[in-house]
Amino acid sequence: MSLIEVEHLKYRYPATEKLALNDISLTAEAGELIGIVGKNTAGKTTFCQALVGLVPHFYKGAYGGSVRIGGMDVKESGVDETIRKVGIVFQNPFTQVTGSKLTVYEEIAFGLEHLGIARQDMMERIDHALHLLDIEAYKDRAPFDLSGGQMQRMAIASVIAMRPQVIVLDEPTSQLDPQGSEEVFRAIQSLSREGITVILAEHKMEKLAAYADRIALLHEGMLIDYDTPSRVFSRSDLAEYGVEAPIYTRVCQAIGFRMLDMDTYPVTLEEAQAAYEAQHSAISASSQEEQGGRYD
Amino acid sequence: MKSMSLYVERESTVHHIDPITKLVYIAAAIALPIILPSLHTAWICMLISFVILGMGRVLTRSLPIIGFVGFILLTVVIIQGFFHVGNETVLFRLGSWPFYEEGLLFAMGITFRALNIVGAFLILVLTTKPSDLVESLVRKGLSPRIGYVLSSVFQIIPQMMATVDTITDAQRSRGMETEGKLMTRIKAFLPLIGPVVLSSLIDTKERTLALQVRGFNVKGSKTFLNEEKMYRYGSAMRWSMLAIVIGAVIWRVIA
Repeated sequence: MSLIEVEHLKYRYPATEKLALNDISLTAEAGELIGIVGKNTAGKTTFCQALVGLVPHFYKGAYGGSVRIGGMDVKESGVDETIRKVGIVFQNPFTQVTGSKLTVYEEIAFGLEHLGIARQDMMERIDHALHLLDIEAYKDRAPFDLSGGQMQRMAIASVIAMRPQVIVLDEPTSQLDPQGSEEVFRAIQSLSREGITVILAEHKMEKLAAYADRIALLHEGMLIDYDTPSRVFSRSDLAEYGVEAPIYTRVCQAIGFRMLDMDTYPVTLEEAQAAYEAQHSAISASSQEEQGGRYD
Repeated sequence: MKSMSLYVERESTVHHIDPITKLVYIAAAIALPIILPSLHTAWICMLISFVILGMGRVLTRSLPIIGFVGFILLTVVIIQGFFHVGNETVLFRLGSWPFYEEGLLFAMGITFRALNIVGAFLILVLTTKPSDLVESLVRKGLSPRIGYVLSSVFQIIPQMMATVDTITDAQRSRGMETEGKLMTRIKAFLPLIGPVVLSSLIDTKERTLALQVRGFNVKGSKTFLNEEKMYRYGSAMRWSMLAIVIGAVIWRVIA
């Protein structure tokens, strides 16, 4: 049994006609890092919130199909039960600060206090989360005094301290500067290394290509493709869905560099480099052959 | 960061006393002069409040506030001294206007009581972190939701004020006049307040989601990161204050 099982998930927001999610089925194993791509309004945020139960419990609306996390049905369990297994981090770091705590350390404790975690256990969890997200240095600072990247890492730490099996990140870097994004991506990598299942909706394809195990391509609420980054990003119809492949893929596509012995294109710098070297040695070998033939 | 709290970080015994005891002190300081309405209780209570402020080493911080309240109370003294209903004994004359003793004493009573109440509240406000106060109230059974509202106000309002500044700058950079004549300011009001309200609504929705996934609605008992702030003599102080108030009631009934 997979950790995340989504079956025929359909959802319509109240007072709308169109389905925001249209018959989505996918599974994810424990420890995987799943990327979610698609243009704006493709349903990324709705899908992310469906994994924690905010869809349908917060928004109401029409809901069909099922989302199961570790065997637990999200619709039946409700948000308050689901958050013990799934954590979510939103786009805007500012609105995720509770505003009722004076230090970063206390801010991270907020969720644990409400879950009723014992004090000793709480402090261990907070220390671990601070360490994992590399924000130990700011633990006595006021939450609103942090930079965007630091604040977003604090938001992730707050969720991680609640020890979920899955963490959903809904475009966590879209409102950050390049340095802040880089900090957050490093943090996401260390979560993944810890064995936490990560669902990451993102527009930065280069990052997803490098870190994700699988990519879900959404378009108008439908799941178009769910496969490895190289297969998804090598699709020739990617532009129709408003998604741009990583820069490396686009360059290699333009000059026709494929992956060695495969029909997909490179999606990361390393793969592009490998493909280039393979092509280059093949060319030089063949030209040597030609030259050799001439001297014969 | 801009903060709305008046809390002054100092090392003193008063700072170590738990917030509940300070709340009881406020109640006692208000009740005593009501139970025993003589001028003497009023000035003694006021003096005690000021001495505690001094012990908390926040007396200088409280002077501007006391001064402001005192200025208003001065008008009471002037008006009562000249026009109090029971005025008989003339104290002195300002030109042809007589200033009476009864009015002065009456006004002094009001002044002492008002300053006493202000002082008692200042003890709480200046020597207690707002978050500590709310936390101990939640421990005593206040709903955590109300507790959240009370403690988040101190940080969310400055955030909203920062948003107002950003929006004002944005509108100004589009060429809108926000300063000058009253008419200009009135005209600028709508384009400023509209985005502020809308952005606050959006922020509130997002914060609601964020709070919900942090377990804000989870039922069951809450735990606390900070250990309960207990002052060793806290309960003794609370009981003795209660005893003094009860004693005052008995005194009032008998005498």
